[in-house]
Amino acid sequence: MIEPYNKLVKLAARAFYDDLTSKGDNQPKTGRSDNRGIAVVVLDALTRRQWVREEDLAKDLKLHTKQLRRTLRFFEEEKIITRDHRRETAKGAKIYSAAVAATADATTGKEGEEKVKLHTHSYCCLDYAQIYDVVRYRLHRMKHKLKDELENKNTIQQYICPNCGKRYTAFDAPRLLSRNGEDFDCESCDGKLDVESDKLAAQEGGDGDGDENARRRRREKLKDMLQKMEVQLKPLIDQLGRVKDLPVPEFGSLQAWEARASAAGRAANGDNAGDSKSHLGYNGAPMPYSGDTKVVVDFNGTEGKGEGVKSETDSTSLKVLPPWMITSGMNLTKEQRGEVKQETKMDGTSTSTAAQYTDEKKSTIGHDDKNIQDEYIKAYYAALLKKQHELEEAAKNPQDANAADDPSSSTSIRKVGDKYKRKEDDDGTEWEEAPARGNGIGAYKVDLNVEADAPAEDDEDDIDWEEG
Amino acid sequence: MQLHPRYFGRNLRDNLVSKLMKDVEGTCSGRHGFVVAVTGIENIGKGLIRDGTGFVTFPVKYQCVVFRPFKGEILEAVVTMVNKMGFFAEAGPVQIFVSNHLIPDDMEFQSGDMPNYTTSDGSVKIQKDSEVRLKIIGTRVDATEIFCIGTIKDDFLGVINDPTTV
Repeated sequence: MIEPYNKLVKLAARAFYDDLTSKGDNQPKTGRSDNRGIAVVVLDALTRRQWVREEDLAKDLKLHTKQLRRTLRFFEEEKIITRDHRRETAKGAKIYSAAVAATADATTGKEGEEKVKLHTHSYCCLDYAQIYDVVRYRLHRMKHKLKDELENKNTIQQYICPNCGKRYTAFDAPRLLSRNGEDFDCESCDGKLDVESDKLAAQEGGDGDGDENARRRRREKLKDMLQKMEVQLKPLIDQLGRVKDLPVPEFGSLQAWEARASAAGRAANGDNAGDSKSHLGYNGAPMPYSGDTKVVVDFNGTEGKGEGVKSETDSTSLKVLPPWMITSGMNLTKEQRGEVKQETKMDGTSTSTAAQYTDEKKSTIGHDDKNIQDEYIKAYYAALLKKQHELEEAAKNPQDANAADDPSSSTSIRKVGDKYKRKEDDDGTEWEEAPARGNGIGAYKVDLNVEADAPAEDDEDDIDWEEG
Repeated sequence: MQLHPRYFGRNLRDNLVSKLMKDVEGTCSGRHGFVVAVTGIENIGKGLIRDGTGFVTFPVKYQCVVFRPFKGEILEAVVTMVNKMGFFAEAGPVQIFVSNHLIPDDMEFQSGDMPNYTTSDGSVKIQKDSEVRLKIIGTRVDATEIFCIGTIKDDFLGVINDPTTV
């Protein structure tokens, strides 16, 4: 649905903006540091994202923020993208924390022990409806200008003084008439004015007899230009035609999009903790366990967090499949998982939209995932129960730490155990969210290492999770 | 309309009307264009005596014919001056300039005591006092002046009537 529009954007970018540089005007343009065409890269990147924070985009594209901003500003003026500037806290700017910050803003911005420092974050998004119009207008103007020049009609002659460079139009003609009535004089310096010829068809040398030829050559040149333009822009025009009847992909304002995306994330995970995770990943410096997230020991909540964590950890070890990942059983899901992981890898390190896309993809992958997850959970908790038994039998010291975990885990198990009891199957499917789940089920950061160690000590056939 | 007391008397109204016509006809306002002729007096209000002098001011409402050139309009005009940059023509009160790049390519400027534009075969000549039909492509309206740019490059434009052959 959105693909034809993306193609249109790409064609337009390559047609019109491929010599745009993001260097400032007063910077030296050396051969080495010439980055002409960066605009095309930026636009292409934007076709793969919806609303994206400019800092994240800069990181993905490995561009300096300032250069990116300059390019984005140019596009904003061309009406190709829309931008939104919002003041948010640096750390995980969630919607509700933004609301909090907004109220905190009214007070001096410091509340209690928390320092709510507000930075202005800029977001940008392609504006498809306007792109369609802008491209059509541009084409129309180009054709019009060439045609007008070709037929030489309705253009108001311009004159320029060679001495002082002052410009006049034909409207000033009576004022400029010189004493002898033969030519036009400049008002300030009394130099004889020159006719300023058409810009597109530069005047060939040789007036007089050559004038006729010059005129003919100009006509030919203009006709050539018109011809070339039509030929080279044909794919763009075709794409315009294709896109004409399609409904425009509309993302809405930043707030609306965020609300929708988080709602979608919620629908996929069944819980707003998952939503907060995906949102966290989007807005904040991607920190999986940002300060004020609640400890949601819920099954779904941990899964949500796990996804984010997994994408981060896996992005570093993409090739190596986790050892606990059983090759048999859910092949389909594993491949899907692989694909999804690829997706997150390709989009760069833990970008918001990567998390978003994975969330959305997961939701689209379908409810069979849900079933698989349920089955995995059963397997996981079966293993966990087994582990607990082993721990109880093992030595005391390592167990202290685990004991600390146990109550929480036992409670969680109890809670999830309900689910487990509900369904009877246990096919031992593994899931990549295992470590995250383990982490989530346990306590938080402090206990992370401990819990990670504990399983490593055990002989777990089924579940070996990586350090989360 | 300001009137000197010497005109007061039986013919006050006629004096007023003639003074109006004398003053207003031929002037130009940017909004309405050139006032060509006064066609009727609608209303003459009560006169107000100015302090210090004996002049009396009357508000007069009148109807008149105005002339305002528009872009895209086709007019006949009489050539007044020919120049290598183009030629000037007048269509009544308004002056129009046609620059040489809006003159058909086959017409060349020829200087001399009677500068003119002429075709290569000499069949068509534009010189002083020729009548041409031209199209307005732009108007410039000051507070009290209107000036136009025209073209003769389109179809059916150009010389209507050559003064030498007539």
